[in-house]
Amino acid sequence: MEDLVKRYGQEAAVAHVSFSVAAGEILGIVGPNGAGKTTLLESLVGLLATEQGTVFWCGEELPPPRRKEALFYLPDGIRPYQDRFAIDVMTFFARVYKRTAAQTAATIAAVGLTPALGKRVHALSKGYNRRLLLGLGLLTPHDVLVMDEPFDGFDIRQTRTIIDVIRQEAARGRTFILAIHQLADAERACDRFLLLAGGKVRGIGTLGELRATTALANGSLEEIFLALT
Amino acid sequence: MRSPEPHRAREAPLAPLLAKELAEIVCGRALWTMLLLVCPLIGYSFVQAVSLYGEASASAQQSPVLAASLSPLDGVLVPTFGAFYVAVTLLFPFVAIRALGQEKESGALRLLVQLPYRSSTLILAKLAAVLAAWILVSIPALSALAIWATMGGHLAASETVNLLFGHLLYGLLVGAIALFAATIADSAATSAIIALAVTIGSWVLDFTLAGHSGLAAFVAQLSLTQALRPFEQGLLSAGLVLGVTGAIAGLSALASIWLPPGVPTQTKCMRSVPCVLAILLALGLATQIRQSVDVTEDRRNSFPAADQRLLATLRLPLIIKVNLAPEDPRYADLQRNVLAKLDRAMPNVSIIVAGSHRDAASQPANDAYGEIEYSYGARSDVSRSTSPREVLPLLYALAGKQPPAPAPSDEYPGYPLVATADAALFWFVGGLPLLIAGAWWWSRRPPAKSLFTCKGAQS
Repeated sequence: MEDLVKRYGQEAAVAHVSFSVAAGEILGIVGPNGAGKTTLLESLVGLLATEQGTVFWCGEELPPPRRKEALFYLPDGIRPYQDRFAIDVMTFFARVYKRTAAQTAATIAAVGLTPALGKRVHALSKGYNRRLLLGLGLLTPHDVLVMDEPFDGFDIRQTRTIIDVIRQEAARGRTFILAIHQLADAERACDRFLLLAGGKVRGIGTLGELRATTALANGSLEEIFLALT
Repeated sequence: MRSPEPHRAREAPLAPLLAKELAEIVCGRALWTMLLLVCPLIGYSFVQAVSLYGEASASAQQSPVLAASLSPLDGVLVPTFGAFYVAVTLLFPFVAIRALGQEKESGALRLLVQLPYRSSTLILAKLAAVLAAWILVSIPALSALAIWATMGGHLAASETVNLLFGHLLYGLLVGAIALFAATIADSAATSAIIALAVTIGSWVLDFTLAGHSGLAAFVAQLSLTQALRPFEQGLLSAGLVLGVTGAIAGLSALASIWLPPGVPTQTKCMRSVPCVLAILLALGLATQIRQSVDVTEDRRNSFPAADQRLLATLRLPLIIKVNLAPEDPRYADLQRNVLAKLDRAMPNVSIIVAGSHRDAASQPANDAYGEIEYSYGARSDVSRSTSPREVLPLLYALAGKQPPAPAPSDEYPGYPLVATADAALFWFVGGLPLLIAGAWWWSRRPPAKSLFTCKGAQS
């Protein structure tokens, strides 16, 4: 992503943001509420029109209409197909992407959705709705999964379980770009971080690189973020 | 990072998308509520229509002439489907809007547009779901036809199919308007306001401008209600079918332009311009196509076959100058009995309405008011008649042709039926609603999940 600018009126929600991500990497877009994380992700996947910015894929420019060929985005706060059963929604995605029953069952088991399969989406708890969304994302064959607040609604044990699922997928070569406002979760889940505040990049790199930049040898991500913003 | 293996639209199977869209429509309360509301509405109209038809048939038992005027199309089918038309106009937009509005409000649309389908495919799948919904909501009306046939009532296949086709086109047009409204509006409520503004606005246009001439008459022609009238009169009009189909296709194209959320509004507006121009072109072409087929059994939209054949051979321009105000009942008679039929039968007919309501008011002082001047080639004649029995011989005289001999086989026998359908009311307010409620309950049953859970446990 190079030089992304997104304005609402005169105000820049995202200003000249550039970053790159490697195969199998988990990149965390980290920042407080209102930092521009969601705007950045939706601009990245082409769901939001931008004033400026280019996405490159293996050196080749990827215009907005074609971004869905490589990236799949799971928004925050949605309850897809509320009147349908969770299993219906999973089956729909599995059929669209020609997944076998075994693959679908494995995904359902991996995200721990089995107990909620027979419930309607509107009746799912926040955590199970999040598992459903993650399950949908894992059923897609895209190389890059972009997720907005993937751990929102999970307790600490559930968060760790989901982080394990994401790491296993990343180990198979799939790339994750996660927008996270909980710094502790981000520190546990991500390989590299893009620190965002006020729509601007305040720092980018691994935890070690950020520690070196801020001269906080044993600093946590939270301390680094506070130092940089 | 490896090069992209794009999940292109052409690779994605359509079946799951269609199944999802259909399930989405069936899941919603709007469809079932409409079905339940339509039952008594159509039932009452049907029972009333059969009752009136039965009374007229009783009077006609002693008179073959009166019996010949009894057509089930006018007496039963059109009034019954009239109730269906009201329901489709007022309630069907809510059903069609759900096909997209729910996804917009829940955020599912942001997932949907990322699936490997083109926007046009997504909209067409939704239109297919709207079509399926229309078929479901037409069940009460179709059951009324079945009851009529069971009672011994006559159904002419061509008339019935033509009427159903007209209602299908009208339903799809309302559905396409609702889908487009759902695409441009942020919420289902706003979409409903937009769609109802168009459908109910059409009624207002139709009521307020009916019987006017000039620009007002042209504007009244744009009313959606005009789309059904030829079908109700037993005409299959090529121009109308093209116009309605063009409008449905155009609205669907506009909806697919406005569906993707990541495209700037200015770009969408610019892409819409050629689409709107294409719709206008299709509508303009449709007004120029005059071919139509009279599918009625009594050939009410045509002269007798021998006259039709002879009139078709009169190739010179026929100019008819009508000195009547469009609001004058005589003009309505002339239009129905003569002008519309001539327009269909002859290749080159021009009609000039020269009268106005001012002329009608000053009729005693204006002797020419009420005259209809027929000019064929270099010859012309004047008549005040609104009956083809007088007008056709006049035209043949102008063309120098002998009137054809009347054929006895052209006589329509009429289909009187002395019957009441009061018992059918139990079906429409009891049996059918119970079946619909049962189907609703069945559609909400939980799906089987053993396949995924068992295999998931093994893997």
